[in-house]
Amino acid sequence: MPSSQTPPAGATALDPTAVRPDIADARIHRVPAAELRATLERLKGEGFGMLLDVGGADYPGRELARFDVVYHLLRIGRTATTLAEVGAPDRVRVLCAVGEADPVLPTVTDLWPSADWAEREVYDLFGVRFDGHPDLRRIQMPDDWQGYPLRKDYPLRGPALERTPRPSFALKSNVAAGTPASGKTAAALQRQIAQARGNSSFAPGSVPAAAATPAQLAQQPVNLKTEDTKS
Amino acid sequence: MTTAIPESSYSVDVVERSANRMVLSMGPQHPSTHGVLQIITEIEGEIVTKASPEIGYLHTGIEKSAENLFWSQASTVIERMDYLSPLTNALCYYLAVEKLLGIDGEIPPRAQQVRVLLCELSRIASHCVWLGTGGIDLGALTGFFYCFDLRERILDLFEASGGARMHPNYIRVGGLGRDLPSGFLEKLDGVIAMYGPRMRDVRRLLQKNPILQDRMIDVGIIAADDALAWSLTGPTLRATGIPYDVRRAFPYGGYEAYDFDVITRTEGDSYARFLVRLDEMEQSMRIVRQVRDALKPGPIAIDDTKVMPPPKETIALSMEALIHHFKIMTEGFRVPPGDVYQAVEGPRGELGYYVVSDGGNRPYRVRTRPPSLYNLQALKGLAPGNLIADLVVIIGSLDPVFGEVDR
Amino acid sequence: MALGSGGDFLLTTVDSVARWAQSSSVWPLTMGLACCAIEMMTATAPEYDIARLGSEVFRASPRQADLMIVSGRVAQKMGPIVKRLYDQMADPKWVISMGACASSGGVFDNYAIVQGVDTIIPVDVYVPGCPPTPDGLLYAVNLIQQQIKQGGRGGILARA
Repeated sequence: MPSSQTPPAGATALDPTAVRPDIADARIHRVPAAELRATLERLKGEGFGMLLDVGGADYPGRELARFDVVYHLLRIGRTATTLAEVGAPDRVRVLCAVGEADPVLPTVTDLWPSADWAEREVYDLFGVRFDGHPDLRRIQMPDDWQGYPLRKDYPLRGPALERTPRPSFALKSNVAAGTPASGKTAAALQRQIAQARGNSSFAPGSVPAAAATPAQLAQQPVNLKTEDTKS
Repeated sequence: MTTAIPESSYSVDVVERSANRMVLSMGPQHPSTHGVLQIITEIEGEIVTKASPEIGYLHTGIEKSAENLFWSQASTVIERMDYLSPLTNALCYYLAVEKLLGIDGEIPPRAQQVRVLLCELSRIASHCVWLGTGGIDLGALTGFFYCFDLRERILDLFEASGGARMHPNYIRVGGLGRDLPSGFLEKLDGVIAMYGPRMRDVRRLLQKNPILQDRMIDVGIIAADDALAWSLTGPTLRATGIPYDVRRAFPYGGYEAYDFDVITRTEGDSYARFLVRLDEMEQSMRIVRQVRDALKPGPIAIDDTKVMPPPKETIALSMEALIHHFKIMTEGFRVPPGDVYQAVEGPRGELGYYVVSDGGNRPYRVRTRPPSLYNLQALKGLAPGNLIADLVVIIGSLDPVFGEVDR
Repeated sequence: MALGSGGDFLLTTVDSVARWAQSSSVWPLTMGLACCAIEMMTATAPEYDIARLGSEVFRASPRQADLMIVSGRVAQKMGPIVKRLYDQMADPKWVISMGACASSGGVFDNYAIVQGVDTIIPVDVYVPGCPPTPDGLLYAVNLIQQQIKQGGRGGILARA
């Protein structure tokens, strides 16, 4: 079973994006960072008017640069009113690799305003910066968070400093430790048991001597009346 | 832990403070933001001049968690993204994994039918929550009770089939976890019978209600071009006139076999989105009825014991079954390397998963394309010029789920 | 009840009436975070109906609420907010930690989730489940009511 105490090594020399399985999900282009904007502008001109998603991935071991930023584009008709006029929609996937030394890519928020938050998220979780982004700051993690969580060398449980301490349960609640789940205090429960066994005098906290066997206890009538609230 | 929200999280510069202008932080705890959303609004009196939504208050690290779990375990965390329709998340993820495994053409028809059935029921249940809570935002409390009662009957079906009301984790690679229990179809017939009169009541309460119409018509109008620029999908997009539905555009999971209409409107305002979702519920029920009639007994998962554990009963009888079961439970199965993008039509729009496998027994990367993230971004453009009360209506009509937005 | 003098008798009667009143109208704060929030909303719906236990309304303002039901996973960004809201509630106040994520981090043992809201605020009742059924939440409110009737004033005694 996978254990979250020892996350698996994430580095892989393999580049999964270079393995092209026989799946017809999108046309795929891999472009270097210098050609990214030109490619995306060209695709937008060809009718891919919707940017579906900008996502990141981290491949620490591969020969190609470490980070992949993946752009998913969609082409659908804009003025069509019937499904027949829309025609067959089309998908394209553009992958762009950036190295870890200086992970910077040009922003596409001027082409598609929806890239705003998506690029911020890639920055927040991977550390890839986007040149020209109007407001590049963390979006998912608090502003003063150190590190980029979705990188493969970032521990699953976070840095040791931030790990919240395991609580001491007894201190955190005013209900005494060991209180049975029914809400009655231990003393009240003892009193009820003592009453059932016919003990007239009872010292709170002490275990009744000469314990009856379970069979004998089962024979005795149990007082099921609700305890008063002054216990 | 610090109790102060850092100043840098405000992306609004307060230059001057006039008598009427102020910066108001709506959320992250707020009854009408449909979850943990903080909107830093700059308002003049009651009118919003700028709205800056801040998200991340529910960031769960699901994608990182999924990288540390086996392929079939990752769906437990992935289901918790869009928590109003968990099976949709699971279906999309498993379709992607099945494509990488190369078994997407071998899913048995009964498994596909039940998957479609449960996903459409999920859609109806999710829209019930949207409708109920959207009504509450406007003060219409009765609709909430009617809708949640309908949702209860649907959750009964999830509990009967998968074991849990929400997050049933019923879908597996190659089909389903187990077959539908006896009595399920009778329960389903009860839901189908209940649906018509119940939705008639809800429509009578809400659809022609003058207060609702007053608050929703011409509020939050989105033009079709803007919808594309903002990457809107789902009912939000279809209410602007663009008939894009992933079930029609890129059919998956057996949807080609069913008859349903793609509901579109052209006005693009909150009322149009309201009507689109109402009519979508009807279409979903139409699909549910078709599936109900088409259901036939048969296998519920592929026969490949490398990915699908053999039936539990065979473990005591067959050594191979025991070994396969053991290996799948302790080691998981390996998925050939590659990457794939799979999308489904969730209740909020196009839910997509970009799944990368490095050949191992865990996902290397699961990137979610969350429809609510992009739908919610439109708020930046929609809010200015509207009243604060309209802001509430707009958020309701965009129907965001923050498990998905923040992941 | 006749434990002391007549004066004690009068005060304990007032006390018990006050506790009965408090326990019969515990008003929760709307602190819906994630999936558990949907089950919390379902607990207000007709099938489970938390109103019959006295939680007639969920108050949006912490100043007006007695009970904070932390329903859902608490992210790193949300932690300070939960603490601030708890501080803003007026005494006496109680906290239900609903669901596995609020109680201990749940399925998410990772960097992003606070591993149990009781590391931030004192909790009176924990509800297991992912999400717990609304029945579980109703039982938790029952336990809070029992605690109130026994004189518990929320995590006050645990807070120095």
